[in-house]
Amino acid sequence: MTETTMGATGSPEALPALVPDAQKDLADKPKDAQQVFGRGFSLALVIAAVIAAAGLVLWGVQLTQGLVLSNMRNLTSWGFYITNFMFLVGLSAGGLIISSAPKVFGIKGFGGIAKIAIWTSVCATVLAIAFVVVDLGQPLRLWELFAYSNLSSPLMWDIIVLTVYLIVSVVYLWATLRTEAGKGSPLALRALSVIALIAAILVHSVTAWIFGLQIGHDLWYTALLAPWFVSSALVCGLALVLVVVMGLKKAGYLVLAQENIIKMVKLLGIFVMVDLYFFGCDLLTAGFPGAEGAAVVAMLTTGALAPFFWIELVSCAAVAIIAFVPSLRTNTLVVIASALAILAIFCKRVQLLVGGFQLPNIDLAGPATGPGLTDMGAATQAMGGAMVYFPSPLEFGLTLGVFGLGALMLLAGLRFLPLKPVDKD
Amino acid sequence: MAKRYGIAIDTRLCCGCNSCVVACKMENNLPEGNFWNRALTEGGESIDTYAGTYGTGSKRYLTVSCQHCENPACTRVCPVSATYKDAETGVVHQDYDKCIGCRMCMAACPYTGVRQFNWEEPHYPLGISTGAAEVVPHQKHVVEKCTMCDHRLAVGEDPLCVATCPAYARFFGDLNDPSSEIARLIASRRYKQLLPERGTRPSVYYLV
Repeated sequence: MTETTMGATGSPEALPALVPDAQKDLADKPKDAQQVFGRGFSLALVIAAVIAAAGLVLWGVQLTQGLVLSNMRNLTSWGFYITNFMFLVGLSAGGLIISSAPKVFGIKGFGGIAKIAIWTSVCATVLAIAFVVVDLGQPLRLWELFAYSNLSSPLMWDIIVLTVYLIVSVVYLWATLRTEAGKGSPLALRALSVIALIAAILVHSVTAWIFGLQIGHDLWYTALLAPWFVSSALVCGLALVLVVVMGLKKAGYLVLAQENIIKMVKLLGIFVMVDLYFFGCDLLTAGFPGAEGAAVVAMLTTGALAPFFWIELVSCAAVAIIAFVPSLRTNTLVVIASALAILAIFCKRVQLLVGGFQLPNIDLAGPATGPGLTDMGAATQAMGGAMVYFPSPLEFGLTLGVFGLGALMLLAGLRFLPLKPVDKD
Repeated sequence: MAKRYGIAIDTRLCCGCNSCVVACKMENNLPEGNFWNRALTEGGESIDTYAGTYGTGSKRYLTVSCQHCENPACTRVCPVSATYKDAETGVVHQDYDKCIGCRMCMAACPYTGVRQFNWEEPHYPLGISTGAAEVVPHQKHVVEKCTMCDHRLAVGEDPLCVATCPAYARFFGDLNDPSSEIARLIASRRYKQLLPERGTRPSVYYLV
């Protein structure tokens, strides 16, 4: 589909895009701060702060009483926290890629939403780091990461890259703001956008390598994992930016031409197709020889993780349909598609994490072995389920708390940082 | 030449009595729920059950602990080198004071369940400490595993699982010394290793 047919065939909301910019600005001005940040906004800010504080209390409980309060055990030594870590790294990388890539290649962006996209990236990165920290048994020994760095560890690479990435994101946001104020040089900003783009792709590849380089797990050990993580990141990162932007548009925080939304939705459709293509390649490679990988395919398609597999597939298909059928690109459906895209990638993360532990290499009866290694595995199987792991109430609560911190950061940034689009980029 | 300590287990002699499991647990004062060495039943549905059908069934055991791999997956991924291979002996160690509790090693190790995390403050079935005084105290929220009884190796004794085996089914020694008992057994007997396709080159051999 070409750019010219898009505006005409789009939904009625596409019409303002055809109006010249100057007139549109007069007709459709963003509301001022008092209108946008009313009592509802302050209330949301307070609720987010309370949830974050409650999360902090739960973390204290977990540290004093022990990770035994989680449903992680020796067989499933990682759980909901690391699932969310993977998921949030994805959310962050996507946001930064869609804000920096247009600048790097000197092409038209998405209507000045770069700053908001970078801010969602910064928030998601902080949350990703927070999830690693709450998963640690000994957070007070974090300093050792810098004192005794073992540079052969993919986890160490990730810690380095995440730190660099967070700094680059903040600097990139600051430079964007300065350039807009007419102070910084556009060339420096473009150079910075190149660095940001590389960092975003690296951060996701390295996160994939934490899993993808482990020969001990059939599901994880594939060279496809790094590019696949990047494509998943693009799907959910772009979807998150879309949800935030559509919400802000509705609230009157910003004005965004429909053509930019349509551009992003089409891109979302393409990213989803790439992600599904990778999934197909991986399933075929794993299943075709009929060897060990066949057990992995069976686990995903018909076994313990089938619900997550099918939710992902159906959601991705729905996203693609909404993205590629012009008459379906209404504001409501765009938000639904974005939410489904985020859900799909979350399901993918669950499959990857729990699926990695679901099939033990040594599955023989004995003391402390098999699903019996996890209380929850035994419990879910007694209830007719098949997963070896399901999060405990504490894990849900603490995870909610971390997301509360994210909501607090996101809202506070919108309130106190000048993230509104000012120019046509 | 550096030593490479290993353990060989004669699966034809092992009768699944769990003496090595209990000896390990006692000697190392293992917290409740932790087993560094486990006697697994091969083939059967649960512990101590036969594989196969009535009349033609067989009963086999596999005692599984840290394989002290020549090419360990765990040491490579530990971000702070809290787990490392001793260059002198080939034993894979775990430093409780250094471990940050990220459990990356548990995700990397292909041998399901040999690395164990203290999910809570360690407590003991007997309420008192047992075993050797030299054993490093256990800590909450760190990973631990078989040390090959390094406190016993230091004074020239075999690991207690080897010394205690009533069937004399376990052998300890230097795999790099061709004249050692273990090296001669491996040279003369058929053996298998656990998950050789994962490329870890374990130092534990199962004589068959």
